[in-house]
Amino acid sequence: MDFTVSEEMTALLETVRRFIAAELAPLEHEVEERGVLAPEVARTIFEKSRALGLYAMNVPGRFGGGGLSAVETVMVEEQFGHTTDILVRRAFGNVYEVLFAADAAQTERWLLPCVRGERTASIAITEPDAGSDAAGITTRAERVAPGWRINGAKHFISDAAFSDFFVVSAVTDPPKRSRGISLFLVDKAAPGVTIGRDQPMMGLRGTSHHELFFDGVEVGDEHLLGEEGTGYAQVLATLGRVRLAQVGARSVGKASHVLDLMTRHAAARRQFGQAIGEFQMVQQLLADSVIDVNAARLLVLRAAWELDAGRDARDWIAMVKVHASEALGRVVDRAVQVFGGMGYCKDLSIERYYRDARVARIYDGASEIHRMVVARDALRSGAALFDSMGSGGWAPEPHAATARGGGR
Amino acid sequence: MNVVVCVKQIPDPAAPPSLDPATNTLNRSGKLILDDSDAYGVEMALQLVDAAGGGEVTLVSMAPNGEVSGLRTALAMGAAKAILVSDDVLVGSDALGTAKVLAAAIRRAAPDLVLAATESTDGYTGTTPVQVAELLGFPSVTFAKKVEVSGSTVKVQRQTEAGFDEVESPLPAVVTVTAGVVEPRYPSFKGIMAAKSKPVETLTVADLGIDPSEVGATGARQAITSVTAAEARQSGEIVVDEGDAHERIIQFLEQLKVL
Ligand SMILES: Cc1cc2nc3c(=O)[nH]c(=O)nc-3n(C[C@H](O)[C@H](O)[C@H](O)COP(=O)(O)OP(=O)(O)OC[C@H]3O[C@@H](n4cnc5c(N)ncnc54)[C@H](O)[C@@H]3O)c2cc1C
Ligand SMILES: Cc1cc2nc3c(=O)[nH]c(=O)nc-3n(C[C@H](O)[C@H](O)[C@H](O)COP(=O)(O)OP(=O)(O)OC[C@H]3O[C@@H](n4cnc5c(N)ncnc54)[C@H](O)[C@@H]3O)c2cc1C
Repeated sequence: MDFTVSEEMTALLETVRRFIAAELAPLEHEVEERGVLAPEVARTIFEKSRALGLYAMNVPGRFGGGGLSAVETVMVEEQFGHTTDILVRRAFGNVYEVLFAADAAQTERWLLPCVRGERTASIAITEPDAGSDAAGITTRAERVAPGWRINGAKHFISDAAFSDFFVVSAVTDPPKRSRGISLFLVDKAAPGVTIGRDQPMMGLRGTSHHELFFDGVEVGDEHLLGEEGTGYAQVLATLGRVRLAQVGARSVGKASHVLDLMTRHAAARRQFGQAIGEFQMVQQLLADSVIDVNAARLLVLRAAWELDAGRDARDWIAMVKVHASEALGRVVDRAVQVFGGMGYCKDLSIERYYRDARVARIYDGASEIHRMVVARDALRSGAALFDSMGSGGWAPEPHAATARGGGR
Repeated sequence: MNVVVCVKQIPDPAAPPSLDPATNTLNRSGKLILDDSDAYGVEMALQLVDAAGGGEVTLVSMAPNGEVSGLRTALAMGAAKAILVSDDVLVGSDALGTAKVLAAAIRRAAPDLVLAATESTDGYTGTTPVQVAELLGFPSVTFAKKVEVSGSTVKVQRQTEAGFDEVESPLPAVVTVTAGVVEPRYPSFKGIMAAKSKPVETLTVADLGIDPSEVGATGARQAITSVTAAEARQSGEIVVDEGDAHERIIQFLEQLKVL
């Protein structure tokens, strides 16, 4: 086991960090105040980042992206956690891996323009009556030769106002439930597509979250992404990478950012004639946060490593989703405490981190859902999920038979 | 046009420094990074080569333990190659010893122009580059805030207290640049990936034909006799505006006799 970071990766992380510090961090306050990132500023940071090759680094080289491995991607994504969602979207791009399922023609039309930063896409799965139960959607795509007609509504769709097209989940074969769901590439400008209200959120200022309505939207077969009926599976599999990178790794970055501020504050702030960091109760807040950040990062790296090894990392990603988002929640909460009134005051970024952190436990699958995934898999695969040798297989203890209700 | 840039690799200034109690010199055993001061020289060199429409930038560095991290950063910015001098006999070298080594290494690259920083971030004697120039027999121009090359002349705006001097010198020459003269570029994704395969020639004192007794602790004509901790800075005074802040600031400035 070797945790050494290669020279190139170190250099890349340094560049990303410098870029964030010099180009993005100075914009954070204004975006927070105004609630929008001015389009010309968005354009500037995009162009600067793209010129440096920092746009769409997660996309394989064959599509013109940076071609980073999963481990490298999460290391970069952790750095992204040091600034805000909207600035990351515009500067570094948000090319969803689900688009890699595109066929040759779709790649040209939908994926490559995203990699070049000419177009942007949002993922539209959640509906007012179907959130955690993503197979319970009612948006319907009916076969109308030679294509499909889509009717339905989505909500909470991140960045929808800015996006040029949507990856939409819709029921194509109702009796088959989750196996009867397919994904469609739908242009925002297509007749019948309406962008509804921007649903105001607790945090993530500057990113829009919209209702979407599809009213008899007609699309050809060439808009079907992947095989018919595989939509739900694609959502589970490829959106896993989004969870790992954008929620898992970024949570680690955010937590470590806040922890850095909090540690320095604890060392500098004096009360009762001493630095508050010398009080044991404050020290516990620091120690627990350091442990949380480092443990979460290891879990993120492990999940990414599983992906690079070509294995199904769904369980690892579920563990990451729960642990990293909750670790972040604990760290930002402690940070507010260590900063006292200043932690609650909008003069500092702590309260923003506190608000922004909350959604990490909800979107991309709430903690409860991912805990369910982990527990079910533990019951099914047992020790393979947690034993260091992957084997387990210890003999049952004597009383186990009674406990199982199989007594004589 | 070929430009050599002297780049010093130094302990990360963000990390707390430590001194070797035996020699009173900075502990350089950990990882070293590109001195920020030298990033300006690298950027300037890249721009000058660009403007000349050809040539390349060669880095020259002297550092312990075969350290290349700082060189990789500069290579990722766009320098073509590097010469590193790393040798145990160099331990304890003073500025003159360093200059002898750098001069010998620079001579191998036969540059039209040598750039260095005005002073390093860790040692900041600001004496190395002019000694290098003397040893090479090149003219030297210090404190450059603007550098232009036309034909076989370098034109420099030289920062002074009151403004700047315009200076011209024939090439080859050594020019030291001040911080902030140019905005050092970020190493790009491609540059970073390419840096790995750019050549770094690692040389010893023997390779350079230098007599080992001329450098290192033996050759040093300087010794650090003692080191004293700098006095801790007093915390500043915060003026809260209750309508009279301007008066209190004026009072304060008058006390300092700056008004
Ligand atoms: C800021 C933001 C951005 C978003 N962006 C997008 C986007 O870009 N695209 C998109 O498609 N969606 C997006 N969403 C939607 C998001 O993915 C859903 O909110 C999330 O999946 C939860 O669904 P829900 O809100 O309907 O909650 P519900 O599913 O109603 O859940 C409510 C509560 O019940 C719990 N619960 C539900 N089922 C179970 C169960 N079986 N066992 C135990 N507990 C359970 C949940 O864990 C949760 O605590 C976004 C949401 C937000 C807030
Ligand atoms: C008695 C003594 C013992 C020392 N012992 C050691 C030791 O054991 N190990 C050790 O590593 N250092 C040692 N040093 C420090 C060292 O040799 C300095 O690098 C040297 O004195 C240069 O001084 P400076 O940093 O003040 O450079 P300055 O003159 O301030 O540097 C100006 C510019 O010159 C160039 N430059 C300077 N040094 C280098 C370099 N090494 N490579 C490339 N470019 C350079 C850079 O562009 C730099 O910005 C010692 C110094 C003294 C006085």
